[in-house]
Amino acid sequence: MIHALLVDDDTELRSLVADYLVRYGMQVTALTNGAALKRTLQSRAAPPSSSPPFDVLLLDLMLPDSNGLDLCRWVRQTSTLPIIMLTAQGDPASRIVGLELGADDYLPKPFEPRELVARINAVLRRAGAGQRGAGSSSHAAVRVRFKGWVFDRLARQLQSPQQVVVALSSAEFRLLEAFVEHPRRVLSRDRLLDLSRAPGADVTDRAIDLAVSRLRQKLGDSPREPVLIRTVRSEGYVFDADVDALA
Amino acid sequence: MKPDLRGLRLGKMRHWWADTLFKRLFLLMWLGLVASHLLAFVITMRVHAPPGSTAPGIERLPVLPSLPPMGSAGSHDAQRGPAGAPPPEAGRLDRPPPPPDAAQRDRPPPDGPGNPPDMAPGAAPNDGGLPATALWLDYGIRFLAIGLVAWFGARWLSEPMRRLAAASEQLGHGLGNRPGPNGPGRSAAPQVEASRGTLEVRQTAQVFNTMAQRLHEQFDAQDLLMAAISHDLRTPLARLRVRLEAMAPPAQAERCVGDVQEMDQLIGSVLEMVRGRQQGGGERQRLDLGALAQSLVDDLAEQGLPASMAGTTEEAALVVAQPQALRRVLGNLIGNALRYGGSARVAVAATGSELRVTIDDDGPGIAPHQLDAVFAPFYRAPVRDPASDTMACGGDHTRSAGAGLGLYIARDLAERNDGRLVLANRAEGGLRAELVLPRA
Repeated sequence: MIHALLVDDDTELRSLVADYLVRYGMQVTALTNGAALKRTLQSRAAPPSSSPPFDVLLLDLMLPDSNGLDLCRWVRQTSTLPIIMLTAQGDPASRIVGLELGADDYLPKPFEPRELVARINAVLRRAGAGQRGAGSSSHAAVRVRFKGWVFDRLARQLQSPQQVVVALSSAEFRLLEAFVEHPRRVLSRDRLLDLSRAPGADVTDRAIDLAVSRLRQKLGDSPREPVLIRTVRSEGYVFDADVDALA
Repeated sequence: MKPDLRGLRLGKMRHWWADTLFKRLFLLMWLGLVASHLLAFVITMRVHAPPGSTAPGIERLPVLPSLPPMGSAGSHDAQRGPAGAPPPEAGRLDRPPPPPDAAQRDRPPPDGPGNPPDMAPGAAPNDGGLPATALWLDYGIRFLAIGLVAWFGARWLSEPMRRLAAASEQLGHGLGNRPGPNGPGRSAAPQVEASRGTLEVRQTAQVFNTMAQRLHEQFDAQDLLMAAISHDLRTPLARLRVRLEAMAPPAQAERCVGDVQEMDQLIGSVLEMVRGRQQGGGERQRLDLGALAQSLVDDLAEQGLPASMAGTTEEAALVVAQPQALRRVLGNLIGNALRYGGSARVAVAATGSELRVTIDDDGPGIAPHQLDAVFAPFYRAPVRDPASDTMACGGDHTRSAGAGLGLYIARDLAERNDGRLVLANRAEGGLRAELVLPRA
């Protein structure tokens, strides 16, 4: 059973969301403020802990006693608990800051309740797939470089060696993200499908092929003899470049 | 709510013949001084003309004004005395003029004895006056000197006015690009120096400074209020949204969900507008416009919406602009095409030094007299498809378009990036939105 930890200062919203998630078979612990969150997490971290661990943290960005962003950083430093931020401040800037500080996803209020469930599942799936945590060093990097290109994951865009900003579609972004996290490794279509799944988007084999060809086009990779995203016959694709994390 | 800066921009297109304070002052001084010289000369001629030759003397005036032979023009006698003595062929050009303009008198002649041959025709001594060339030079220098004085005088006098105009322009731009009530450099209204100049100038500067400061404070307060209200509305909306999930009958609840989404879009647009005014949209970068259009279209197509690319340039369509701002502009336009026109066909084309992104739809278009009105904030197209509400629940592209702020924000952002945004009905039906940007 998924055990979600919900932190929001609005009493009614807290109970409403908790009730809703319970209907989807989740167990919800609801807290009012940042201090309670710190207490709860610290007591759980203590060795003789009988209570089950939390699977996901749903964190409101605006809490009366502390800044959600600071809390987010604190949680990230002390545990690997996946974080989904909930906020009324649905602007791109705070989304970027939140993700930069270690949140795994971001949902603006008022959210579609079903979308919240989908996001929780997606975050847990990613966590289960071992995409985050100590294993993948490039996950922490907001910007990575390969062959003179800079890939900015927060702005969701590419910068060419000639300093031209090249916008990416969501599908291209998710695909490139999967590639830079697994450089020089053959990724099958199924694996890419898995890695680039997104809530609300229906990703198919054909969509992967299309996104690969668009991505090649944007990266200036010739479709006949691609050097960056090579096709491995009957196996899949390989991202053939060294990926360096940028500060 | 945002001051219209278009009028201010006109000031930059000032032509050399435009009516300016400087030119008025310059003309006033120059014409005044020249007229006074001529008047003085005419009167002097009339009074001191040799007896019996008054009429011919005056007739000569406009063509070739010359000095009367006798040297007795009031206070200038002393200077004129020696100068009048040498014969005309000597080519002495520093003969002082008869009008009261002592300042010019010491000016050395630009060319001295080099011109006796030229003087020959005019040198025919007219009643013992100066040779014609010398006179022309004399008057030429005078007009020029008066002109110079008038030029600098006019500049000096119109300077405070120009400073005020510059500060006003800054104020206009400043209100559009404030750092925000919490940002750095809070409320740095432009100031005019109030300690210099005449009393009137100092008073005007003080009044202007007070006004600018008040305007800034009011705009800050207004933004803060709008942001606070919009922000605080979202928590009750979130509650409402979750409650609706448990509500029956579903048909009613679904409509309520639509209402919640519409309200949220309005809040989003207001916040976006406030933020757009405060942040200005970020840093300018070289940007591939074709890739941007393609990625927006791809995102919508992935969601199953009828958006497509209808053409693009052969080489990269590069512009220098704020990437997030352009993303918003194109997102708004494509979202509108989908919402009101049912489909969106996007094309990027290059014409000369410009790049154009056109977004065509197959909707009913916009009545010609409303083509301009739709850019006004909070304007809504009078005919609205009720089905569009349920369609407009996707990503950011539809969020900002719902409140009648989408086009207003889009045009504002386009203009901040030196572009322009035009709507037109296509001959074959449907609307065409066109974003034109200078090529990098």
